Amino acid sequence: MKLTELDQSEAIRYLGYGSQKPDAKILALLNDCEKKLLECISPAYVYRVFDIAYDGGAVAVEGTSLKMEGGDICKHLEKCGKCVLMCATLSAGADRLIRRLEAEDMTEAVITDCLASAAVEQVCNMAEEEIKSELDDCFFTWRFSPGYGDFPIGIQKDFLEVLNAPKRIGVNSTESMILTPRKSVTAVMGISDTEIPKGRRGCVTCKLREKCIYRRKGERCGF
Amino acid sequence: MDFKTLLKKDFVFLDGAMGTMLQAKGLKMGVAPETLNIEKPEWLIDIHRQYIEAGADIIYANTFGANRYKLGEYGYSVKEATETAIENAKAARGDSEVLIALDIGPIGQLLEPAGTLSFEEAYDIFKEMVIAGSDCDIIVFETMTDLYELKAAVLAAKENSSKPVVCTMTFEENMRTFTGCGISSMALTLEGLGADAIGVNCSLGPKELYPIVKELCSWTKLPVAVKPNAGLPDPVTNEYSVFPEEFAQLMKELAPLGVKMFGGCCGTSPEYIRAMRKSLADADYYNRAVKIPSACCCATNTVIIDQPRVIGERINPTGKKRFKEALLAGDIDYILGQGIEQIRAGADILDVNVGLPGIDEKGMMVRAVKSLQSVVDVPLQLDSTIPEVLEAGLRIYNGKPIVNSVNGEEKSLNSVLPLVKKYGAAVVGLCLDENGIPKSARERFEIARRIVSRAESIGIRREDVYIDCLTLTASAEQEGVTETLNAVERVKKELGCKTVLGVSNISFGLPAREIVNHNFLMMALTKGLDLPIINPNVETMMQTVRAYKLLANIDINSADFISHYGARKAEENKPRQESADLNLDKAIENGLKSEGARITERLLENMDAMDIVNNMLIPALDKTGADFETGKIFLPQLIQSAGAAQSCFEVIKNHLAKSGEKSESKGKIIVATVKGDIHDIGKNIVKVLLENYGYDVIDLGKDVDCQRVVDCAVENGVHLVGLSALMTTTLASMEETIRLLRENNVDCKVMVGGAVLTAEYAEKIGADFYAKDAKESCDIAKKVLG
Repeated sequence: MKLTELDQSEAIRYLGYGSQKPDAKILALLNDCEKKLLECISPAYVYRVFDIAYDGGAVAVEGTSLKMEGGDICKHLEKCGKCVLMCATLSAGADRLIRRLEAEDMTEAVITDCLASAAVEQVCNMAEEEIKSELDDCFFTWRFSPGYGDFPIGIQKDFLEVLNAPKRIGVNSTESMILTPRKSVTAVMGISDTEIPKGRRGCVTCKLREKCIYRRKGERCGF
Repeated sequence: MDFKTLLKKDFVFLDGAMGTMLQAKGLKMGVAPETLNIEKPEWLIDIHRQYIEAGADIIYANTFGANRYKLGEYGYSVKEATETAIENAKAARGDSEVLIALDIGPIGQLLEPAGTLSFEEAYDIFKEMVIAGSDCDIIVFETMTDLYELKAAVLAAKENSSKPVVCTMTFEENMRTFTGCGISSMALTLEGLGADAIGVNCSLGPKELYPIVKELCSWTKLPVAVKPNAGLPDPVTNEYSVFPEEFAQLMKELAPLGVKMFGGCCGTSPEYIRAMRKSLADADYYNRAVKIPSACCCATNTVIIDQPRVIGERINPTGKKRFKEALLAGDIDYILGQGIEQIRAGADILDVNVGLPGIDEKGMMVRAVKSLQSVVDVPLQLDSTIPEVLEAGLRIYNGKPIVNSVNGEEKSLNSVLPLVKKYGAAVVGLCLDENGIPKSARERFEIARRIVSRAESIGIRREDVYIDCLTLTASAEQEGVTETLNAVERVKKELGCKTVLGVSNISFGLPAREIVNHNFLMMALTKGLDLPIINPNVETMMQTVRAYKLLANIDINSADFISHYGARKAEENKPRQESADLNLDKAIENGLKSEGARITERLLENMDAMDIVNNMLIPALDKTGADFETGKIFLPQLIQSAGAAQSCFEVIKNHLAKSGEKSESKGKIIVATVKGDIHDIGKNIVKVLLENYGYDVIDLGKDVDCQRVVDCAVENGVHLVGLSALMTTTLASMEETIRLLRENNVDCKVMVGGAVLTAEYAEKIGADFYAKDAKESCDIAKKVLG
């Protein structure tokens, strides 16, 4: 899998510009950093399709020891008999570059960090398209990640094990459930034989909306 | 039968997949397979038996993930899981001559700097496994992607067992592992550490592994092992794409490369091993005759000494006041800056010397090597006169370093060479002994010969000894210059060793030193100098090296030379960007680093340093801070301005260090990313801004133990602590750190920040301040410390 250009507008948003446009100097830096980043990443993803079964407040992933807990993931998958577990990463090259830039030039480090966050999202989108094209006559939900809503982030380690992600694409998790390499994402997509109603995404349907720290700051977790 | 005897056979057969076989028997994915050693021993015995019947000479006990981290949640000890695994293998072996391998895979967490596990912790985890598996016949480390983790593993095996060690790593089609380790780096490092066989396993099928195996075979004299996957698994059915017959045929094609050991990884079964044995029955073992060149490496980059390679000399406090100051203050960023600057200028290797009276040189060497290796990808030369310091550096170095140095003295030979051998390094041999530096080339050559022969007698290759014939000062011993050059020539020709010289010493005490230095460098290069130790930041020195490479027909088609100097003319004609009306204010506002530094230098000619700081730099920073707050500028610009101010401060620090004045400190602040968290970019921005305002920032880094913050605050009398956390999972360590600070009655305020924090939450966990961004942390510091 190869990325040829990065979503700069998304990175600019992460940099805090809102709807404003950076000046020419920063735009030039964005281009430089994009080039450097593209040179040193090797994006990869891995996925598997599983049957799922509902078990009270959790979704059991058949053939594995994995139980996905929480009202939001249950609701997300409620019309689905199968799901895709996936994990995508920019690879360790991104971490190495950002580490080096932090010692060389902090501005470039911050810009590259934001570009990398945008890039891993692009990798997820591409992976999603490829997965969908492999599986005919299916309908899919959007990607739901551990840490969204009340879907516990503590599932990361077992999630990666089930996908064999450490061996297949080199993604591990720390004891605090941070994925390493840092620019990596895990996600679940429900699969159904029938069309799935859309429009359930966002804070309105989230179980945590009353106590969410992102929401209070006017930000979103991605849910 | 032992491993050595087994290797006398043409081919050695390993077993195939364990996980795949266990899943076929009903193991659920996600459950640690090692639990079955105790719960379903009959499954394991059956699988081992099948592999033995299929023709495996070595079977891998089911201990791949039997480490304390992975077994943690299941209630089995490492000892229990490992011992039962080996018992099961023994039960299957019966009276046959099959060997049992203690199989050890990656721990399951990345090591620093990518993850949070330290090298030392990794060593302990592997040591526990090695000791638990003492009943095995050989130790196998496999599926490794991080050379650093593997080094910890091999050291743990070598220091706690006498069993042979086989190491296989997992490479992708780009010829690198996931962590970026290259094939030559793997081979050089592991052969140096004393591995008994090396190879590749997992990731790809045998066809895709062919170029990787080929490359590996050209980099090692050790027996090579290959254990590929049966292709790739199908995401829906989980079935693998290469079947036994095809697999066996493809494996046979690897034999002419000189592969000794054949097995299978994920997706293979006894059928694969049986088919492979059959297909290889009529093949012959190819005995590789490889010559491994002189080379050193880090995990991602190998430097072959087949042409002049520049060793940067700047990481060394000798004669540098600012460097000494940085060392005393434990300012690792300064050292990193020195390293990066030299690499940009063209250094291939960096010398690292952190020896200074009054500091813990051993601790500093470890810190400097770890920090440098986390950001630069050139090999390092560990430079110290103290063997304990060298060993500490050698132990935690990732790759194959150079040791600087050993000399002809008995004491030095006896203490340094065994370290070089144990850790598989290259070494600089100085042509001096108990009687000092001999005057003549002949005598220096004799010492060189003695060093080489001693090195070879304990198993260090001649290719790994780089002889330093020693540069004397031309102003004091003018006649000695030719002796040095002649010694270089003889060592190169007659001993066949690579040569190294510290060049700059030649001009000591003379005016216009640069002229002498680069001319001497050219003379030495023509005599066969391979490793000049120089200051690559001095343009004429690098020009000389590049010109030499061009003239000696090393730089083919002058490509490298043209890439460096082809655009030069155009640049020289370009008007200088710095216009007359550019002042410090503007330079900072526009984030112009080098301009800011130049203006500061000029100002220092007739202005007091602290006046510049208080009346020019700080107001300029205040202005950018205010612009940021009101949304006139954004984060990248704020950081750029801070970076420009930083370069001005560096000029001022240098100035003060030279004149012996002390810079005014406004107080000490600790910054740390809390335990368990590794997001430190935000914390680093805060640090830069605080330093600009004149605070002494003690940066404890990321994943910082709660107690360490307390100890450091007490030890240094710190009154403001800044803590950062970016995960909901690590907020608990933030709370814990604050609790400990309070419990120990540390007289300090705490400010906290990070994406998941809010003012309310900060208050709830007992912080004094919540900083919503880096700018606000400066406001808080002003409030607390003035």
